[in-house]
Amino acid sequence: MSAVVEVEGLTRRFGSLAAVNDATFRVEQNQIYGLLGRNGAGKTTLMQLLTGQEFATAGSIRVFGENPVENAPVLQNTCFIKESQKYPEDFQPRHVFTSAAWFFPHWDADFAARLATEFRVPLTRKMKKLSRGQVSAVGVIVGLASRAPLTFFDEPYLGLDAVARQLFYDRLLEDFSEHPRSIILSTHLIDEVSNLLEHVLVIDEGRIIIDAPADDLRGSVTNVVGAASAVDAFIGTREVLHRDGIGGLASVTIGALSPAEQAAARTAGLELSPVSLQQLIIRRTSENTQTTENEMEKSA
Amino acid sequence: MDESRPIFLQIAEQIEGDIISGALGEETQVPSTNEFAAFLRVNPATAGKGVNLLVDEGILYKKRGIGMFVAEGARARLVAKRRDQFSTQYVRPLIEEAAKLGISADQLAELIRKEQSA
Amino acid sequence: MSAVEARPRNRVLPVVRLHLANPWTTITFPWIVMLTILALTVLVWMLILANIPDPTDRMNAREGFGYSGSSGFIFVYMIVVAVQSINTMFPFAQGYGVTRRNFALGTGLYFVLLSAFYSVGLTVLSIIEDATGGWGVGGSLFSVGYFGDTPAQRLFVFFAILVLFFFSGSAIAAIYVRWKAFGITTFFIALGFVIVGLGALLTLVEGWDEVFSWFATTGLVGSFAWSLVVSALAAVGGYAVLRRVTPKN
Repeated sequence: MSAVVEVEGLTRRFGSLAAVNDATFRVEQNQIYGLLGRNGAGKTTLMQLLTGQEFATAGSIRVFGENPVENAPVLQNTCFIKESQKYPEDFQPRHVFTSAAWFFPHWDADFAARLATEFRVPLTRKMKKLSRGQVSAVGVIVGLASRAPLTFFDEPYLGLDAVARQLFYDRLLEDFSEHPRSIILSTHLIDEVSNLLEHVLVIDEGRIIIDAPADDLRGSVTNVVGAASAVDAFIGTREVLHRDGIGGLASVTIGALSPAEQAAARTAGLELSPVSLQQLIIRRTSENTQTTENEMEKSA
Repeated sequence: MDESRPIFLQIAEQIEGDIISGALGEETQVPSTNEFAAFLRVNPATAGKGVNLLVDEGILYKKRGIGMFVAEGARARLVAKRRDQFSTQYVRPLIEEAAKLGISADQLAELIRKEQSA
Repeated sequence: MSAVEARPRNRVLPVVRLHLANPWTTITFPWIVMLTILALTVLVWMLILANIPDPTDRMNAREGFGYSGSSGFIFVYMIVVAVQSINTMFPFAQGYGVTRRNFALGTGLYFVLLSAFYSVGLTVLSIIEDATGGWGVGGSLFSVGYFGDTPAQRLFVFFAILVLFFFSGSAIAAIYVRWKAFGITTFFIALGFVIVGLGALLTLVEGWDEVFSWFATTGLVGSFAWSLVVSALAAVGGYAVLRRVTPKN
C-alpha cells in the first residue's frame, strides 16, 4: 500500500502550548480515516498543517511525497472542508459550486447539483442568509463533489440534522465506492461514523494516542460488571482502563478477553458488555480528567 | 451492528445466515462489496474483508468480471459449522443461567419440550 | 481510482475569476450607484439653477458646481472591495487548495484589471461631461481639475488612485487577517507616529517649502506616478504579511 500522507515528529507550538506534539503517522491511499479527539486536542491544527495552511515548528510532512506548504501541484489535489467555513460576503451557493469547478480537477458539477437538491440547499440565496445547517451542507457538497484525492472534513456538520447527516454518510460511502480516495473525517460524533471508518487516529493534547485499524479497536476492550469482590478476583493484575462502582457492584473496563476467559468470567457470574469505539476513546482520552468525561459524553 | 466485535466478522456471519436460511441460494450471485457497504452503511473495505473471509473458506467464489457466487455445498458446510458451535454458543449459556436460577437439567429438558410443542 | 494530478494547472486566472464569481458586488452595483449619484447631482444642479433668477448669481453658482467630490464614491467603495477580497476571499481560497503565492498573484492581477476597467469608465464619463458642457449645467463630477486636464491625464490619475487604494487597502486587510485588531491598532499607531514625526522633522528643518515646490515641479501626473511606487510597496508588503497567515475562524 502507498501512503498519501507521511508525517514524522510533527510539532506545532503556539507559545508554550504544543497544539500538535511529536506526531508520527501515515495515511494510506484510498481509505477513510477518522481523526478523533476532544475539542482543542489539535485536530484542526493537524489538518491545517497537512494542507499547508499552518506551519510546522518541527518535524516533517510529506503529502503525495512532497512538502505541502505553498505547493500548488500538491494542494490542487486536496480539499479542506472546515467547521464554520467563511464564505465571501456576496456569495450564494451557486457561486460556490461554479467556482469550485475552477479549482478542483476532478469536480463533478452534476453530482454537486444532485446533492444540492437532496440537501435542499437554495442556490440563489446569500450564504449569510442560509441556516447554519444549509451552510454546512454547502461545505459537505463541495467536499464530496470535489473528488479530491485527499479530502479533509473537519467537523463538517454543524447544524445538520440527523436526516442530513445520514444523507452525508450514505453519499460519502456510495461515492467513495465508485471513486476511491483518501478521506480524513474529523468528528466528535464517533458512534455515528464508526462503521464508515477503516482506520482511526486519536489525538489527545496534541499527541497521537491511537493509530489503528477500526476493526482492531473494536473488541479491544471489554466491560466487566458484577460483585466487586468477583470482579477484583477476575481481573487480578490486568490493566484497568476505567472503573465505576455503586455499593457492592463494580464496572471495570479492561483489555480484550479470549473466548476461554469470557467463559470463565461468565461462570464467575460476571456480565460482559461491549465497549463502543466512542466509549473506548472517551476512556483513553480522559484518563487524568474524570470530571470532564461526562461533558464529552453529553456533547458527543 | 454489535459494537464488541469486528464488523467484517459480523458481515460474514450475516451472509452465512442468509445462505443457511436459503435467502441466498447456491450458485446464485451475491451482492457486490459496494452494495453490501451501502446497504449496511459500512466502509467498503470492511465489507470486502467480510466477503473475502467467506471466499477464503470456500463458501463464496469469484467469477472473473462477473461477481461473487455462493459455492455448491456451501449451505451444508455452514450448517455443520453452526452445529459445532451450537453447544458453546447456546447450550452452555442456557445451562449457566439455569444453574443460577436453580433449574435442574431435567427441568430444563422439560421446559424445552414444553416450548417446542407450544 | 482518482489519479493524482501532477500536471500543474494555471491557478492564477481562476483566482481572478473567483473574485468576479459574483459580478454584482464589484461591477454592477458600483456603476448603478455611480450613475444614480450622477443623475441626482445633475438634478440638484438643475433645481438650484432654476431657482436663481439673477444671471450673475447663476454664474457664481455654476462655478461652484465645478468641485463636486461625489465621484469619490468609487474610490472609497473599492477600498472596501480590497479589504473583503483579503478578509473573506483568502480563507475561502485556502480551502480550495490555492497557495498564498497564487492567491496574491491572482488578486493583484484582479486589482489591476478592475482599476483599468474603472479608470476607463470614469474617463469616458469625463469626456461625455466635457462634450455636454458639464451635463448641460456646467457641473463637474469627473473632469475635476485635480484629476488632470486632458482625458489621457485623467485616465492615468484614476488608474493610479484606484491601484493605490486597492493595494494599500488589501495590505492593511492582510495585517488584520494575520494579527487581527492588535495588528491594525499597532499599524495605525506606528503610521501616526511616522506622519507626525515626519511633519515635525519638516517643520524643524523648515523643509515644507521644499516639499511644496517638489509637488509643484513634479506636477499632478508626476506625483501620481510616484504613487505607483507606494502601491508597489504596499503590494509587496501585503504579500509578505500574507505569506505566513493561517486562516482562523
